[in-house]
Amino acid sequence: MDTAVCQTPDALLAVRGIIKAFGTNMVLKAIDMDIRAGEVVALIGGNGAGKSTLMKIIMGIYQPDDGEIYIQGRLAKLNKPSAALAEGIYLVPQEPMLFPNMTVEQNVLMGFDEKQSELRKRLQGLLSYLGWKLALDRKAATLSIAEQQLVEILRGLMREARLLILDEPTSSLTFHEAEALFQIVADLKAKGIGIVYITHRLTEVFQIADQVLIMRDGVITLSGPVSNFTREMLVAGLLPQGNVAHRLAADSPESQRTLEEPALVLEALTGYGFSSVSLKVYPGEILGLAGVVGAGRTELATTILGRDMVKSGRVLLGGKDITGFRTGQVLKEGLNYVTEDRFVSGIFRISDVAANTTAANLGRMSRFFLNVKEERKITKRFIEAFHTKVTGQDQPIGSLSGGNQQKVVISRALSTSPKVLILDEPTRGIDAAARGDLYAIIEELKRQGLAILLISSDIEEIMELSDRAVTMYCGRINQEFSKGEISQDRLMAASFGVAEGSAEHA
Amino acid sequence: MLKKLLHSRETTAIGFILLMFLGVGAINPAFLTADNIWLCLNSSVVYTVAAVGIALVIMTGEIDVSVGATLGMTAAMCGTMIRDGEPWAWAIGAAMAAGLLIGMINGFGVTVLRIPSIIMTLGMNGIVRGLIYVYTDGRWVENISFDFKILAQGRLWGAFTYFYLGALALIAAVHLLLTKTRKGRYLGAVGDNAGGAMLLGIPVNGAKWVSFALCGLLTAVGGVLYVSRVGFVTPIAGSGYEMKVIAACVLGGISLTGGVGSVIGAAVGAAIMASISRVLVFIGLSSTYDDTITGIFLIVIVVSDALIRRRAVERARRERLTAKTQHAAEAKG
Repeated sequence: MDTAVCQTPDALLAVRGIIKAFGTNMVLKAIDMDIRAGEVVALIGGNGAGKSTLMKIIMGIYQPDDGEIYIQGRLAKLNKPSAALAEGIYLVPQEPMLFPNMTVEQNVLMGFDEKQSELRKRLQGLLSYLGWKLALDRKAATLSIAEQQLVEILRGLMREARLLILDEPTSSLTFHEAEALFQIVADLKAKGIGIVYITHRLTEVFQIADQVLIMRDGVITLSGPVSNFTREMLVAGLLPQGNVAHRLAADSPESQRTLEEPALVLEALTGYGFSSVSLKVYPGEILGLAGVVGAGRTELATTILGRDMVKSGRVLLGGKDITGFRTGQVLKEGLNYVTEDRFVSGIFRISDVAANTTAANLGRMSRFFLNVKEERKITKRFIEAFHTKVTGQDQPIGSLSGGNQQKVVISRALSTSPKVLILDEPTRGIDAAARGDLYAIIEELKRQGLAILLISSDIEEIMELSDRAVTMYCGRINQEFSKGEISQDRLMAASFGVAEGSAEHA
Repeated sequence: MLKKLLHSRETTAIGFILLMFLGVGAINPAFLTADNIWLCLNSSVVYTVAAVGIALVIMTGEIDVSVGATLGMTAAMCGTMIRDGEPWAWAIGAAMAAGLLIGMINGFGVTVLRIPSIIMTLGMNGIVRGLIYVYTDGRWVENISFDFKILAQGRLWGAFTYFYLGALALIAAVHLLLTKTRKGRYLGAVGDNAGGAMLLGIPVNGAKWVSFALCGLLTAVGGVLYVSRVGFVTPIAGSGYEMKVIAACVLGGISLTGGVGSVIGAAVGAAIMASISRVLVFIGLSSTYDDTITGIFLIVIVVSDALIRRRAVERARRERLTAKTQHAAEAKG
């Protein structure tokens, strides 16, 4: 760390050399960032790039391991949220954090020291200055997401915030609401407020941002005025360095899929979180489903599995219409799902490996008492086939490593002998070695004729495993790729809404 | 303004108590006499004070089930000291200090040691209940001076007891504190959305700690009133009060998940709770059903509240997801 004071004293906020690690996991590796008054800085990055950690450090929620933050050239100590608020920094979270049972006015005025009557006068003044129409006596619970965001912005402005951080503000807004928000951002900018705008949508960057910053794996890979860049350059900044595409194409030949019947067909399926999704998965094929978190992929999977309502469209499993079946029936028909969130809903943490392997299959193993011998047999088969590292079948699954836990979870899904398997982020949080094992297992399942729908935010994973791929953006399939067409930049571009050939809006 | 009043949860509770009185009065007109109504309200004073205390805790999203034992302990202390001829101020002061201390230990366990409040206060309930036996040697506290007992009988114009009027004044004061002062509002804010409160720089743990301490203190006030009203203290005095006062809060429109309701509602709920045993007698049932009915009320209200909330959350989730897909459609169109 050199002794240089902040070189840009005109910056509202200057971040210098911020480092943060959680355990052995380096999340931020010396981040530098400048935000000037009246400037919108777009911050882009995939999941796990470190954006939210950086923002939490600026908000005083986390403490950096190293590095400094300067506010108007002065070293600032942001050790708790109230310190950041006092420095004029306000974060509008992705999901607004209002008090649902309080009125708009109570929400905005919460946490101030001044007298209520004065605050109320200030709030009225602020509203007329901004020209917003917002009923102050409405309960926050009755507001739309867009209105809740306005309340959050008001909270910030009432604190005389000079820097607003907007975390994916448009992710739950309709198109018109988003347009209205852009107008507000432009107004605030004109009034000299600095804005950090976190987003997954590249089109928005060109619409409202002055500067752009791209983060990947805890480093800033690209930064500068938006006018210096094209979409393709931004996509390139999001990609991991060193392309591995050619290596993969060689060792996984195109699947032998011919004119056979697809195992899973979705016909214009619409539900909560996704719309008109049509796709086919054939036996012995892996279809990759790429996209950013929040694109609607998990909602699609859980709806197919019968956990949420289908609004329209059909799900055909082996030619049979299973639309609207309950979860138990869907499993029985031969479709299984390995959840993205192993820790919350994937494992029975304190149960042993055997019980976890057969938990989905108890109906077949028992009349009234469990057939323990059968349970042992099934578990043994999977432990051997997958080389799961366990001390014994009675080891509690919570004590296994992530990779081995995931093997048990996949074993469980397979113990129901499904025809179609949906894997949702199967290697998230799993180390590289175990990842290789899991890939080998997934490849083997494919060879045995299983139809696999692979949901992953990890583009390398989609490339490594998929025979075909589709990308989802804002709840819709926006592009399809054959094996030959799959490439990192194409998938990345489509995931961020920059689809080739589709009508772009900008 | 009128519309707001009609929709408030306190109004529902007041409507409930009016209906209860009119309904029971229709079956047995003796229930609707002025004497009986005063009796019902005046007899609710101990519940009322303790319910206001626990309401503060519930508003922050926590719970305190040690109220019963705390009430018994403070009543035993106050009773014993008055029986032994200590000055009243000492007796009352000692009881209140004990209540405050129990509340502060509860708050410490919940905020610093991060023990779930139901477990922390359940354990505390057991500890304090045991200490009552140690303190009283398992004997009743009797022969309390008549001068102290007569206090509970004093009435203004033959209607409200001075105790109940004092309780009403307390409710008004706490209500103003909660709605009109900055720190008072923190309590509800913490229960409504602890994460959001933290982002605004509100001391979430501090607010919870204060609520537990105040709950202990107010329960001790309830203990003192109990001594004067009942005139003796048994080692099991106050047991079962925790369910009564929690049910009172819930009946009065306070949500167990925090953030919703007012102490006025808690007071109305306490009046309902105190009336139930009399209601049972007047409609010709045994008052032994009292606890059963309280329990049923508690569960029915909490469950229906939870169902309404779950529906609202689910609807909000679906609206959010729908907006997301519409974004793409409209952007293309």
